[in-house]
Amino acid sequence: MIAFFGRSVVQKSITLFFVSVVSFLVIHLAPGQPSQIDPLNPKFTREVVERMRQQFHLDKPLHIQYLLFYRDLFTGKTVSWKDSRPVLGKIYERFLNSLPLFILGTLLTWTFSFPMGIRAAIQRNGPFDKSTTFLSYVLISVPGFFFAYVLIILVVTHLNVPVIDMQTFGVTSDSVMVLFMDRVWHLVLPSILGATGGIAVLSRYVRGQMLEIIGMDYVRTARAKGLSYDGVYYRHALRNALLPFVTMFGLMLPGLIGGSVIIESIFGWPGMGRMAYEAILARDYPVILTLNFITGVLVLAGTFISDLLYMVVDPRIRL
Amino acid sequence: MKTITTAHTPQTVLDLDLMPPSRSPWSETWRLLRKNRMAFSGLVIFAIFFIIAVAGMLLTSGRKPVLDPAQVRLQEKLRPPMSVPIPETVVSGTAPILGRYLLGTDDLGRDVFARMLQGAWVSLTVGFVAVGISVLIGIVLGGLAGYFGQRAIRVGHILSWSLVVAAPILALAAKPLAALLAAAGALAGWAFYAWRRRRRGEPTPVLLRWLSWTAIGVDDLVMRAVDIMLCFPSFFLILTVVALLPPSLYTIMIVIGLTSWMGTTRLVRAEFLSLREQDFVAAARALGLSDLHIIFRHIMPNALAPVLVSATLGIASAMLTEAGLSFLGFGVPPPHATWGNILSDGKDFIFDAPWLTFAPGIVILIVLLAFNLFGEGLRDILNPKLRERN
Repeated sequence: MIAFFGRSVVQKSITLFFVSVVSFLVIHLAPGQPSQIDPLNPKFTREVVERMRQQFHLDKPLHIQYLLFYRDLFTGKTVSWKDSRPVLGKIYERFLNSLPLFILGTLLTWTFSFPMGIRAAIQRNGPFDKSTTFLSYVLISVPGFFFAYVLIILVVTHLNVPVIDMQTFGVTSDSVMVLFMDRVWHLVLPSILGATGGIAVLSRYVRGQMLEIIGMDYVRTARAKGLSYDGVYYRHALRNALLPFVTMFGLMLPGLIGGSVIIESIFGWPGMGRMAYEAILARDYPVILTLNFITGVLVLAGTFISDLLYMVVDPRIRL
Repeated sequence: MKTITTAHTPQTVLDLDLMPPSRSPWSETWRLLRKNRMAFSGLVIFAIFFIIAVAGMLLTSGRKPVLDPAQVRLQEKLRPPMSVPIPETVVSGTAPILGRYLLGTDDLGRDVFARMLQGAWVSLTVGFVAVGISVLIGIVLGGLAGYFGQRAIRVGHILSWSLVVAAPILALAAKPLAALLAAAGALAGWAFYAWRRRRRGEPTPVLLRWLSWTAIGVDDLVMRAVDIMLCFPSFFLILTVVALLPPSLYTIMIVIGLTSWMGTTRLVRAEFLSLREQDFVAAARALGLSDLHIIFRHIMPNALAPVLVSATLGIASAMLTEAGLSFLGFGVPPPHATWGNILSDGKDFIFDAPWLTFAPGIVILIVLLAFNLFGEGLRDILNPKLRERN
C-alpha cells in the first residue's frame, strides 16, 4: 500500500514535470511574440514593448523563463499579462462561476443515464433498448454549438425566457424568488447541453456493464431459486454492475476545471472555458499555462483516486 | 452427395453438404454488415457523403467553378431556401444551378448550397488526414511498445540520438563549432555501437560501462508519453496551438492528428502484447523471419480490426473538432467555407435566417451519426465473441 503510494507519487510528479515542459515549449516556441500583440496600437511604442519584455522576463533565455514562471506559480505570485491581476485569484473567481454548471450537469448525467442504461439492458433488443441506443448515437453526434442554437430558438420563442449570460441584464426585483428563478433559467440550458454527451456515453456504458452481469451464472441461479425479476436485477446484478462506476468519481475531477469553451462562449457564461478562450485570444501566457498545469494535476490526482477507490470496492484488486 | 471417406473405414467422416458453406473473412464481414441495419445505413450515408464531397470539390474549385461559393450578390442576401433569384439583379454567368438557391443565401448573398459543397470537402479531408496521422503514429508507437517492449533504452542510445538531433539544430542556430562537436559526438556514438556489435560478448571497458546502463524500457517510454499527452485537455490544447500558429487547413489536420494518437497506441500495444505470445508468431520466428516481416506480415493484419473501429469513430470526432474550431473563428481562413464557419456566420441571424444554422447543423449531425453508427456496428461485427451463429 505504502509502496503503491510512493510509486504513484514519484511517477506522477515526473509526468507532471514533462507536462509542464511540453506546455511551456508549445506556447513559447509558437511564432509571434505576446509583446507584438497589437502592432497598430499607437500606445505600443518601442520603450513600452521593451519594458513589457523586461517585466515579464521575455528577454531571458527559455530555461530561465521556465524556472521563473514555475517559481512564481508555486509561490502564488503569477500575474496575468492582460490586467496584472493574480492568476490564481482570477481562476478561482471563474471556477466559482463554472461550479454550478458542473454540478447541475453531472447530476443530470447521472440521474438520467443510470435508469436508461439499466432498463435498456433488462429489455435487451426491445423497443426501449433500440430507441435509446439510437438516441444515444444522435446525442453523441449532435454538435454542441448546433444543439445550443436549436434550444435557444425553442426557449426564446416559445417560453419567452432570456438565457444568455448568468442573469438577465439589469434585472432588479425585491422578490428573491424572481432573482432565483432568473438564475435557474440561465443555468438550465448550458447544463443540459453539458450533460447530453455524458448521458449518451454513460448510459451505453451502464447498459454494457449490466448486460455482462446479467449473463453471469449467479444471476441465473438467483432466478432459478424463484426470486422475482426485481430482486435479481436490483439486488444481485446492479450492485456488481455498479463497481466500475465508483472509479468514475475520480475521473470526473478534471471536468471541474474543464468547462466547455464552445458552450460557455455561446451562452456568454463567464466560466473557466471562456476564460481559457479569452486568454488564448489575448496571448495571456500565464493564464494558459496555469490552467494547463492545474488540469494536469487534476487528471493525475483523478486517476490516483480512482485507483484507490477501485481497491477499496473490489477486494480482488491488490496493487 | 459428396462425401470424404477414408480407405480403412468406409463410414462418412465429413458430409460437405451439411457443413456451413466456407466463406472468406471479407465476405463474412460484408454479410454481417448487411444484416446490421444501422451500421449498413451508416456505410451508405458515408458513401453518399464521400461522392458529394468529391463532386463538391470539383464543382466549386478551379478558376471558373460551376458553383461559385465566393460569389457575392448583395441584392440577394438572406433569401430563403428554394427561392428563385431576382432576374434583373443576376449578373450573367453567376446564376445558381437549377435556377434556384437550393439552401438559400447568406448575409452577403452567397449561395449556401455551394458553400456547403465546398465545406464537405474540408470536413472529409480533415477527418481522414487527421485520423491517418494519428493512426500512423499510434501503429508505430504501439507496435514498438508491444513488440520491442522489453528492450531497454540505454544511456548511450539517448546520448547519441540527442546529439544527432542537436547537430542540425545548432547548425541552424549558426553555431558551427558546437554543431561540429555534436556531429562528432554522434559519430563517436555510432562507432561505439558498431564496435560493440562486432565484438559481441567481450566485456566493455570499465570507463565506457556507464553507456550501457539501462535508462528506461521501450514500453515504459511510450506509455509514459501517452500518460503525458492524456494530461492535456485536448480541445483546449488544439485551440491553443491553432490560435498561435498561422491559420491554414493543414495546421488543423496536423494538430488534430498529433493530439489524438493515444487511444490507437494503447489499442495496438495491447493487441501486439497478446499476439506476440501466440504460436504462429513463435513459428514465424523459428523459420528465421525478420522482425519487420513478422510485424507487418503476421501480427499487423490480426491487430487491425480494433484500429479500424477506433479510426472510424476518430474521423467523426476529428470532423466535430474542426467544426468547433471553425465555429470559434479559428481554422480555415475566411473566404473558404467550412460547415463550422457557415454556422458561425449564421448565428447572428438565427431568428431571421434559420437555414444558415440548420443546413450545416443537420448535415454535420447526419454525417457524424453515419460514422458513429458504422464504427459501432463494425465493432460488433469484427468481435467474434459477439457474433451469433449464422
